[in-house]
Amino acid sequence: MLSVPLLEKGEFLIAASSVGKTYSTTSGEKVLALEDLNVSIADGEFVSLVGPSGCGKTTFLRILAGLEPASGGRLSIAGHVVSGPSPDVGVVFQSATLLPWLTVAQNTTLPLRVGPARDRAPTGVQALLEMAGLTGFENKYPYELSGGMQQRAAICRALARAPRILLMDEPFGALDALTRERLNVELQRIWQVSRKTVLLITHSIAESVFLSDRVLVMSPRPGRILADFAVTLPRPRDFASTPEHPDYLRLTKEIRSVLDRA
Amino acid sequence: MSTLDSQELTVEDAKRQRVRARGLLLKLAGIAVLLAMWQAGVTFLDVPTYILPAPMQVWAALKSGLFVPLDSPTGFYIPIAGTLANAAMGFVIGSIFGLLIGSLMAEFRSVETVLMPYAFALQTLPKVAIAPLIVIWFGFGNGSKIAMAALLAFFPLMVNSFTGIRNTEPERIDLMRSLSASRLEIYARVKLPSAAPFIFAGLDMAAVYALLGTIVAEFLGAQRGIGVTIVQAQAVTDVAGVFAALIILGALGMGLHLIIRSIKRRIVHWDERRR
Repeated sequence: MLSVPLLEKGEFLIAASSVGKTYSTTSGEKVLALEDLNVSIADGEFVSLVGPSGCGKTTFLRILAGLEPASGGRLSIAGHVVSGPSPDVGVVFQSATLLPWLTVAQNTTLPLRVGPARDRAPTGVQALLEMAGLTGFENKYPYELSGGMQQRAAICRALARAPRILLMDEPFGALDALTRERLNVELQRIWQVSRKTVLLITHSIAESVFLSDRVLVMSPRPGRILADFAVTLPRPRDFASTPEHPDYLRLTKEIRSVLDRA
Repeated sequence: MSTLDSQELTVEDAKRQRVRARGLLLKLAGIAVLLAMWQAGVTFLDVPTYILPAPMQVWAALKSGLFVPLDSPTGFYIPIAGTLANAAMGFVIGSIFGLLIGSLMAEFRSVETVLMPYAFALQTLPKVAIAPLIVIWFGFGNGSKIAMAALLAFFPLMVNSFTGIRNTEPERIDLMRSLSASRLEIYARVKLPSAAPFIFAGLDMAAVYALLGTIVAEFLGAQRGIGVTIVQAQAVTDVAGVFAALIILGALGMGLHLIIRSIKRRIVHWDERRR
């Protein structure tokens, strides 16, 4: 297990300063995906990153997850420079990416059975499944589940190692609108219970305002942060009343106008 | 589940059963027509038996080989056992090596770079042409049959495991990497199961090829085996006997295919290409 130093007052759990990323295409062309990206996220914060397609949101998340190196800048999680995947970080991908030959229970406990610290006792996984409304589905295979349930199982899997940070890459993008709203409410509940730090990448302005404490708006490629909106809507939020709140309406309008101008 | 659902299910089942029964009936009718035309053609055109025997003569040859005690020296069972044992041994050896080399090529670019030209060259070479060489190296005993079967079983496994592993969804690999899984863990827990549908398709081909390899080696000289039975029948222009042996071979090939398919259905119950 990684030793986690206690955070100094005012220090951020995730700190990225002037992070850049340059790709080389197969034809040898250089593509600037991210440029001078500065992001700071405090412990327990729920932050969304919205931006146009191809702006480098996913690249930033992959760098944070330790799946790709940054080309420049400084990036730290809990005071440690990011040099690879960390047990402090759970990732939820665009598609649920459940392994079809494993049951729901086996999929969600996969993080406890691989990696350098495998064979950890599966503590709390049952509680996680219960929290995600998957009790009774432990022995089902992914193809027996609806898209929404698959993504809930994927969230459970990301939480299995009890990471401090949850990185989510458009996890609800492929779901229908109603399922998406329901999962937004559930994610809020899971977040309120577990008090994780969440970075959510999304295309949906509504989703970002509904869920977040802060919404970061990114520019088209090369991605930079254009605006940082604080969302102080009362919690728990719900789709019956929150969308009618004046702050919600003002924020979605402002975020849209920033994106339109970008 | 509601009663409505289960009722709908039985209606669906009954419909599917009717369709399947109709298909079977059509197939049987097709076979009957073919046999009748064959018999009529041979009878009315006066085709000599040493060119094309009538279905009834083939049936007689089959009967004389099948309706005998298992250890009868003139029966089909001893050659079947010999051919199957060698083919099975070659299948296992060839498949294991094919899976191993295919995996190494998929996992290590350097192995791929070194071995790919040979794989290509051997792939385009008609491999049964190697049989005489194999007989020189391994003799007229079981060794040459097993080696020939293994050689033919090797390629479909190598190609299919390589392709299957390389086709693993990148997101699954990202998932494992995000969990700090080791290379071996990623291979064993994600790449190999992801490649399973490909590997089983390879096993299906390999089983039939192993049978083919054994028969070819038997043609070149052997104590016993279906290949020997065919050559012996040919030597005395017992064409009905050749036909009978070919029917046995066809049945064996079909049997192997069905066995592998049923194992596949049990193991790869989640096959993504079917869903």
